[in-house]
Amino acid sequence: MAHILLRELDIPNIKDIDVYLAHEGYQGLRKAIAEHTPDEVIDIVKASGLRGRGGAGFPTGVKWGFVPKDVFPKYVAVNADESEPGTFKDRQLMENNPHQVLEGALICAYAIQAEAVYIYIRGEYWDIADWLDEAIEKARARGFIGENILGSGWSCEIYTHRGAGAYICGEETALLESLEGKRGHPRLRPPFPASVGLYGKPTVINNVETLANLPYILDKGAEAYRQFGTEGSPGTKIFCLSGHVNNPGNYELPFGGETTLRKLIFELGGGTRSGKPVKGILPAGASGAILPATDEVLDTPLDYESLRPFGSSLGSASLIILDESVNMAWAANKMIHFFSHESCGQCTPCREGTYWLRRLYERLERGEADLYDVETMKNIAAQMLGKSICALGDFATNPVLGTIQHFGEDYEAVLGGDGSGDASPDEKEAAATEAAAD
Amino acid sequence: MADTVKITIDDIEYEVPAGMNLVDAAKLCGVDIPVFCYHPKLGYAGNCRMCLVELGTPRRNRETGEMELAWFPRLQTACTQTVVDGMSIRTRSEKVRDGRRIILELLLSSHPLDCPICDKGGECPLQNLTMEHGPETSRMYWEDKMHLGKHIPLGELIYLDQERCIHCARCIRFQRLVADDPVLGFDQRGRRQRIITSSTPPFDSIFSGNTTDICPVGALTTADFRFNARPWEMVQVATICSHTPEGSNMYFDTRPDREAGGRTTIKRVMPRQNEQVNEIWLSDKSRFVHHYMEHPDRLTRPLIRKGGKLVEATWEEALEEIARQLQAAEAEVAGIAGGRLSNEDFFAFQKLIRGQGSNNLAAYPARVAGAEFVAQVGVGVGTNFLDVGEGDAILVVASDLHEEAPIWWLRVKAAAERGATLIVLNGRETRLDKFATHRIRYAYGEEVATLNAMLGSLDDEHIQPEREVEGLEETLRHARGFEASPELAAAAKAFAGAENAILIVGGEGVGAETSHNLAQAASNLLIATGHVGRPNNGLIIVWGAANSQGAFDMGIHHRYGPGYQPVEQPGLDYAGIIAALKSNDLKALYIAGADPVFDDWLMEEALRATNAYIIVQDMFLTQTADLADVVLPTQSIAEKEGTYTSGERRVQRFYQAIEPIGESKADREIFLTLAQKLGHGEARTVAGLIFNQDIAGAVPQYAGITYQALARVEKQFPDVGGEDLYYGGTSYPNRHGLGVQWPVAAEDESAGLVVRPAEAGSRLTATDSALVVVPVTVLYDAEPVMQKTQLLRQRVPAPYAALNPADAARLGIEAGDMLEITSDGHAIRVMAVLDETAPRGAAIVPRRLQAQGAPLAAVVAPVVRLERIGA
Ligand SMILES: Cc1cc2nc3c(=O)[nH]c(=O)nc-3n(C[C@H](O)[C@H](O)[C@H](O)COP(=O)(O)O)c2cc1C
Ligand code: SF4
Ligand code: SF4
Ligand code: FES
Repeated sequence: MAHILLRELDIPNIKDIDVYLAHEGYQGLRKAIAEHTPDEVIDIVKASGLRGRGGAGFPTGVKWGFVPKDVFPKYVAVNADESEPGTFKDRQLMENNPHQVLEGALICAYAIQAEAVYIYIRGEYWDIADWLDEAIEKARARGFIGENILGSGWSCEIYTHRGAGAYICGEETALLESLEGKRGHPRLRPPFPASVGLYGKPTVINNVETLANLPYILDKGAEAYRQFGTEGSPGTKIFCLSGHVNNPGNYELPFGGETTLRKLIFELGGGTRSGKPVKGILPAGASGAILPATDEVLDTPLDYESLRPFGSSLGSASLIILDESVNMAWAANKMIHFFSHESCGQCTPCREGTYWLRRLYERLERGEADLYDVETMKNIAAQMLGKSICALGDFATNPVLGTIQHFGEDYEAVLGGDGSGDASPDEKEAAATEAAAD
Repeated sequence: MADTVKITIDDIEYEVPAGMNLVDAAKLCGVDIPVFCYHPKLGYAGNCRMCLVELGTPRRNRETGEMELAWFPRLQTACTQTVVDGMSIRTRSEKVRDGRRIILELLLSSHPLDCPICDKGGECPLQNLTMEHGPETSRMYWEDKMHLGKHIPLGELIYLDQERCIHCARCIRFQRLVADDPVLGFDQRGRRQRIITSSTPPFDSIFSGNTTDICPVGALTTADFRFNARPWEMVQVATICSHTPEGSNMYFDTRPDREAGGRTTIKRVMPRQNEQVNEIWLSDKSRFVHHYMEHPDRLTRPLIRKGGKLVEATWEEALEEIARQLQAAEAEVAGIAGGRLSNEDFFAFQKLIRGQGSNNLAAYPARVAGAEFVAQVGVGVGTNFLDVGEGDAILVVASDLHEEAPIWWLRVKAAAERGATLIVLNGRETRLDKFATHRIRYAYGEEVATLNAMLGSLDDEHIQPEREVEGLEETLRHARGFEASPELAAAAKAFAGAENAILIVGGEGVGAETSHNLAQAASNLLIATGHVGRPNNGLIIVWGAANSQGAFDMGIHHRYGPGYQPVEQPGLDYAGIIAALKSNDLKALYIAGADPVFDDWLMEEALRATNAYIIVQDMFLTQTADLADVVLPTQSIAEKEGTYTSGERRVQRFYQAIEPIGESKADREIFLTLAQKLGHGEARTVAGLIFNQDIAGAVPQYAGITYQALARVEKQFPDVGGEDLYYGGTSYPNRHGLGVQWPVAAEDESAGLVVRPAEAGSRLTATDSALVVVPVTVLYDAEPVMQKTQLLRQRVPAPYAALNPADAARLGIEAGDMLEITSDGHAIRVMAVLDETAPRGAAIVPRRLQAQGAPLAAVVAPVVRLERIGA
């Protein structure tokens, strides 16, 4: 199958605007502007069934439809923060197929009649930001960006903006705050960005990969797009494969059907490097709950819904493969460190909970923890759920709850003392009270 | 009713005001939803998650089309909800209790639990809510807690304990939303997140102390109170700010102190909620300046000049001597009283001086005048800036309100943010401009002309006096002789057309005469546009002292006796007294609670030249006292009881908090003892009796007001700082009296209203070598009481003149140069500061940054560069 997104694999040097133009480049934008009203574009995207690739899988056209028609100015923010551990797809798109990303952003901007697009790009991607700036200038020179685009009377600018290293700034409202020059603290919702976004104006925030699908959809039509993927999850998805596999990297595959973890790990990924069996899979970086590598899991066709029965989700499809050499309590510790470090600190459950969990995992690692501590971990994580401002607070509970549920024996293996770790909760409580009284 | 909605709380239905925050609405129904970050004066931030409830909202069922209650599967924050009809919440379910318990456990997980040494301990929302909703023990290992800085100065006044902070952002939000000094913020992320200040100097705000009240834990403490006393040891004594004219309600928290030899001392000042006055806010001057009251330099015994020197004497000796001198002087006496005296003091003072047959009475500072206009058209009873908003107007002329009356600044700004039309007339940019709908710049000297022009620009449609007005034709004819720019005319129209309109007259750049004329012009504009005699309409003058209004009410005036009753033989005013001292037409001068020599070199000259007997009554040996023949030690507001009358004419009581310092006596007691010695009548010295009987009898406006009435309180909403500490913080409820506003003449519909042409001065213009030197008021000045308050003294700038960079370039002046400014033969030295907001041709010189450091009114004076510091 030819790629829809990673087209540089089929067409060398497609990052060059001339090459891109020679291969239907900016055709989608041309058609959108010449043949459709903005509302029609939204309808086409709705019909295509395209879903957000940033993690939540929200239907893109529906999101655009929430934007009020009569409020100006409006903005598009391109989420290029790509900070989820194990996610590296947006980077490849922007590096090797930048015009497709720009074209997608412009189609979105046209559909909602935005006057500016801000590409919020992860700070470490400074080189890519420079290349994007060059690509923007090239596209401007061809009349795709700036005043009166393609004679439509509609004008739009594209700017890049570099992040400063906070994972939370990939969360869409923290991203907006950061763009406005403030601390990256997620906003309370409602109101949603579609009505009150950047500088208080209606704003659509889409992931890089989401937008990169649009040129194809507008050029070839929603039906053509729907030939890939499933009814609920149409199109193709870039799977970021990493961890203990021989061939890590990005793989673009249609949703569902033959696309399974088994295919990704063993066929494309070449199996584990150690040759040991796969133990667990993190399907969505640190943010999704871990999956045990059972046959059922390995053979499930991947789409946005199919991992639900296993208590997990596809997220941004950053598949981190862990073989049997890994103790999952150790892995959870790493992830909790990540969340505790990246919690923005705004709300109580996430700020305090991630720090507390981190301290408990450190105990575990030092061999000082016992079963009661594991119970506490589980309880804290369960209690954090659903109480925080943004999804990070929920994400942070996944490594804890998922690993304890599926790999409880890994915890037992690292418990302190005789390994049974069996102090009764009562004794523990007494000890804690004593400590508190000191 | 359209403006209420029905909500259900724990299965009971209530009717609450529409549009209300859910937490407030529940509180109104008697249901406490615990909060940390929400505050009714700050709105919500939704970050602490303490207010979680089960929430059901009415939704239309898509299939049936029926409205039905949809319960959110997860707990929701109540503080982020606005009540809607049909909303239902559960606040007592197992799920909600679990939620609260875990939030508290989490908040306490890294909390240092140092309540036993924490200043907030005993009045801490975190303590209280933990007792009510928290777990009994913590599962957090003690040694796993995060450790952060415990004594971080955010400025000289406020300290931060980073460990105690629960990250509610109330302090940040107060500084941004209420004070408009966004100088606090968060630094770092996650559990390391901490409060920092981003300004230079640090925590640069005159409202910083309020953050310590609203902080729901002991993370923010004041430099003077931290580790000093426990809340439950202290007795709260109701008092009033004795420094600026807003009449801020506050408490002196007192306690016997070992370090003071067992004497009861003032440990701290806390706001006392009065939603009509200062709500729950205090300026840092109100809060921190009290330290002078217990300063070792306080005068403790009378001093008599003997052999050219002031030496200690007994009261008997001093009073006998004064009585003898006054007896001999007969009517050739004069009295000057400063605006920190109480109404009872003033009343006794004028009784003493008038008993001599003299009307030579002046209130100090004398530069702000016009009280008789307030008595006519002052703001109506019931006026409350909180009620001013969309459709209303506020006009502020010749005032940097932020410095002259900080609390009014806060409230006027808030009214503008609620949609009130704000018109600011000034010669320069002030901190109110940002919130103004109309910003008008006049040339100095044209203050009155500008108000006249506003009146003159109005067409008949906008001239709407509500009743017969004497002198209207003539005044309008006069006013039409002044030209109004289109912007000014637009402002006038907006003012005239407003539903309610308040006019605030300040004292920036003007002296007594102009100030009087400004009040006349303001009064004309208010009367002609019908903005008098009703709440939220009328005149407010920004007095130079806390109780200047009371001074005038009590008859400290050369033309008016108590209650603005004209005297038969007007006496000398302040300028007249100076002239008479020089010409030796006065035999005695009594100065009480004022230090005119500090401001005024003409007064110093007169005191040095005169043969008159000079009596000075004060707390410190001021520069004026230094020139006296006898000095009497008097008491601060903390040592006596009495009443003050605010600039909004609210009469308010204050109570004795500490024992008198040394042998000092209350001013009223001294005056009345003398009056009795002189045979002026019975001396009744109990403050309450003077007020309830003597003042009530002599001042018609105060007739119905008694101490008992002044002590009345009623339930205020929001119920900040109530027993439950529900909204958190330590802004105390008011248990000692909300005060009573006295009615002005215009509120009596049968009373006649009078307008008269307001005499306008002419424009002051700079010359090649001279600038228009404009004296302005700053909150942190170097007056004696500020000098005795170490904490605030650090914030007093060195004397300076702010020049426009263009003028500085023209005159060859650079920032930091020492300048000499000479007017009336008196030279002052100030440092040059270059400031874009100083208008071209002007030198803005703050009053009272040094003795005799500014002209009394704007004047054209040569500005000369003396030397270049560091050159
Ligand atoms: C903590 C957190 C981090 C996130 N980081 C990213 C990110 O790096 N890139 C991204 O595209 N979306 C990220 N998201 C998701 C965005 O909030 C948002 O859902 C997405 O940008 C929407 O775009 P889409 O509809 O095209 O997926 C993050 C969400 C959370 C809660
Ligand atoms: S959940 Fe975590 S990251 Fe999100 S707002 Fe709360 S503290 Fe910040
Ligand atoms: S210092 Fe106090 S008010 Fe400020 S965020 Fe911390 S707890 Fe809240
Ligand atoms: S989140 Fe509602 S009070 Fe803090």
